[in-house]
Amino acid sequence: MFTPAILDELRAAVDARGLIVDRNQLQTYECDGLTAYRTLPSAVVLPRTTAEVSAVIRICAAHSIPFVARGAGTGLSGGSLPAENSLVICLARMNKVLSVDLENARITVEPGVTNTQVTERVKSAGYFYAPDPSSQTVCTIGGNLAENAGGAHCLKYGFTTTHVLGCEVVLPNGDIRWFGSEHGLVDSPGYDLPGVFIGSEGTLGIATKAVLRITRRPETVQTLLAAFDSATDAAQTVSDIIAAGMLPSAMEMMDRTSIFAAEAAVHAGYPDCDALLLVELDGPTAEVQAQMAQVRSLCSTNKAWEQRLAQTDTERALVWKGRKAAFAAMGRVSPNYIVQDGVIPRTALPAVLTRMKQMSEETGLRIANVFHAGDGNLHPMVLYDAANPGEEDRALILSYDILRMCVDAGGSISGEHGIGREKQCVMSYMHAEPDLATMQRVRRAFDPNNLANPEKLFPTPRLCGERRHGAYIPHPIEAAGIAEVY
Amino acid sequence: MPTKTHSPATTEELSAILREASALGRTITPTGAGTKLAWGNAITTDDTISLANLSGVREHSWQDLTATVGAGTTWSALQSQLARHHQRVALDPLFPERATVGGILATNDSGLLRMRYGGLRDLVLGMTVVLADGTIARTGGKVVKNVAGYDLPKLLTGSFGTLGIITEATFRLHPLPAHTSTFTARSADIAALADLMQHLVTSAMSLEAMQLRNEPDAFALDIQFAAVPEALDDHEQRLRRLASKLSLEPTTVDIYTTREQLFAIPNATILKLTTLPTKLSALIAGFAQLAAHGITAQAVADPSGIVTVALVAPAAGLATILEDLRARLAPIGGTAVILQRGALPTDIDPWNNPAHPPAALDVMRAIKNEFDSHRLLNPGRFVGGL
Ligand SMILES: Cc1cc2nc3c(=O)[nH]c(=O)nc-3n(C[C@H](O)[C@H](O)[C@H](O)COP(=O)(O)OP(=O)(O)OC[C@H]3O[C@@H](n4cnc5c(N)ncnc54)[C@H](O)[C@@H]3O)c2cc1C
Repeated sequence: MFTPAILDELRAAVDARGLIVDRNQLQTYECDGLTAYRTLPSAVVLPRTTAEVSAVIRICAAHSIPFVARGAGTGLSGGSLPAENSLVICLARMNKVLSVDLENARITVEPGVTNTQVTERVKSAGYFYAPDPSSQTVCTIGGNLAENAGGAHCLKYGFTTTHVLGCEVVLPNGDIRWFGSEHGLVDSPGYDLPGVFIGSEGTLGIATKAVLRITRRPETVQTLLAAFDSATDAAQTVSDIIAAGMLPSAMEMMDRTSIFAAEAAVHAGYPDCDALLLVELDGPTAEVQAQMAQVRSLCSTNKAWEQRLAQTDTERALVWKGRKAAFAAMGRVSPNYIVQDGVIPRTALPAVLTRMKQMSEETGLRIANVFHAGDGNLHPMVLYDAANPGEEDRALILSYDILRMCVDAGGSISGEHGIGREKQCVMSYMHAEPDLATMQRVRRAFDPNNLANPEKLFPTPRLCGERRHGAYIPHPIEAAGIAEVY
Repeated sequence: MPTKTHSPATTEELSAILREASALGRTITPTGAGTKLAWGNAITTDDTISLANLSGVREHSWQDLTATVGAGTTWSALQSQLARHHQRVALDPLFPERATVGGILATNDSGLLRMRYGGLRDLVLGMTVVLADGTIARTGGKVVKNVAGYDLPKLLTGSFGTLGIITEATFRLHPLPAHTSTFTARSADIAALADLMQHLVTSAMSLEAMQLRNEPDAFALDIQFAAVPEALDDHEQRLRRLASKLSLEPTTVDIYTTREQLFAIPNATILKLTTLPTKLSALIAGFAQLAAHGITAQAVADPSGIVTVALVAPAAGLATILEDLRARLAPIGGTAVILQRGALPTDIDPWNNPAHPPAALDVMRAIKNEFDSHRLLNPGRFVGGL
């Protein structure tokens, strides 16, 4: 709890309407999408301007109060989970689009603008904002920067970091600085501060403005759905498409369990098969048509027994429907489940799938898989029943074992959900001590007093003794059907 | 102690050398082939460390579209190895025959492919780096998607050897285009070419590269498409319609060496300018006008917003031109960096007008201080004396 004097200072900085201390209201901010962890913050501020954010952080710095930035709270790794006795700085009210420069394909926004709002703003001019996390209607640009969010289409278009030309940041001492270019220029001399800030999960400061690159909408989009009798055949098709020199905008795979669940939930009309592959091509019409013919023949070579081509927006929506529903649908086949996020080199896919099957047999727990197959990003779901004593613990152990296997295969413990609180203890499995110490140098340069989102991202002796408890509980926006995890 | 040149053959050897150097407080210039050692502030250090022996492609996982390579490998050696599987790092830096991977990363050099594929920071996935105190850090990873911790490869790319010495890097690869077609549009009216450039950028065609430049008596826009043959035909027709009022013909020269050829002009001063895409043509037009004042200026612009220009003029004229450019670019945060000094007086800062330091220079200094507190690696070479 903060002293009345500190609360007075905060009130002076953001106005009484921008300060929340009421316990009931504070509960809204006690967790993010990783709902198994909850901590009530001491207070929440809702600043409206960069100057207010700066004033608030100066108060934090003066009194050594840890602060945690928050956008929409859709993060899946506990990034905006409040620290003990911390102040949550929620950027939701800083939600203006500041300027649009179509000729240079740039847009400048405040951090509380949602991902979808960016595209909405430039859509009529034929542009879109390329990073497309499936939480896009709700999640904020500030949160996207902090997590380096991606989506199904980042195979071709890249993640958030590719699309940010500059950002205004309030440093952990309250100073305001521009990282990269305020005007959207590329390649100014100096260290790549936006590069290191993006993906830093709120540990290096708070973004208060961002200059984003917008992308011209492709002329044509086509999506193919292909059914295979084995995941290996589907994986081989993915490799063959890459080897043929094509770069689809998305390549997604689902296994039998997730197909079954998706069917039960949304009746997407998927074929009954062991592996489904979804390939989306976009670009100039002549090119998409020629390449799609090639993709279809590669599918046939690899024994796809059914292929459906979606060419209109409605047809495409239907093809994507089941894929997008896959996570939420898991509730149809299992009382509880844990969603993981790991990355492997694409070529390791058949071996990793075989190993996962063994792990499943060894533990008696089912694993369902959906993946961004093009870039090797797996979302394995460990299914279990919390009513069976000990099963939840075994499921947790299995889900972390899967992550370690990803590292062993040459991959990563996170492709898009970030480390936050959830995976900080697995960080030391992926990175050796000197690698983590090098990251800590960056941390110290920005935040010597360790006030910005402390005890996240890095393994700490205190927390890595504990173990996470709890199943995946759908985020309210997912439960409400606004967004799907995929 | 006299100046030494070390040529370690492994990362561990380099680490031992740096541990010893830091214990003795000796300053170091890391170098690859030395093609860009003249970039940045002139400095002298106690020792030099050549990365030339840390060369070779260590791994080419062609099905994963990634490759890991030693920092001393020349760019063309890397590319020819990758070409065996019809792949490449989609970047066309200067001096590919001699320049090494480490030096290209340290200077963040990029060419025409930037428009479509991004710069090095978009193409590098991981790096092994040795810090001033000998710490060996493996940063990033070998997979395309990875959000586990800070993106240190980005921070190190373009840090001019002031934060650590890169010994190995992993890149994401792209296929080599199987079919391309290249055209040059010419006009005495640069506005017509600027319009065409803007149309093409927003056309949703498969543009591979584009550059706007001045010729002795006209302006030229080089345009390259890379796509399947069916699409190339379609694109050529569309281009012909868009450029119906201009002279348009298939390009006969290699557009990827235009920038490098500027360095062959005797006594040239070479600058790299950054600006907004829509302001490129005004810059090029301005350079063309210098001819009337007896100054030769050859400029080439990449649509991402980077201009490289070679100037041949008396020293005083050059200083005025640079000062004027910096003043004109300052309001939009544009920069004019000296890549080759030529006749420009040596007291002019190669990075910027020191009265307009880069934003957040204090943050950059704090990072330098954490990575190299005794200022041993390329001390003072980079912008703001980093
Ligand atoms: C149903 C569902 C689907 C999802 N799908 C995807 C997906 O496809 N791809 C993907 O990448 N992610 C996905 N996510 C995860 C999540 O939506 C993203 O990580 C998103 O970027 C978080 O944005 P947010 O505004 O909710 O941020 P929050 O959850 O509020 O915060 C996330 C992190 O950002 C920090 N932060 C927030 N604002 C700022 C700021 N202005 N400056 C500095 N730090 C800040 C916080 O401290 C925290 O560490 C999904 C989540 C859900 C619930």
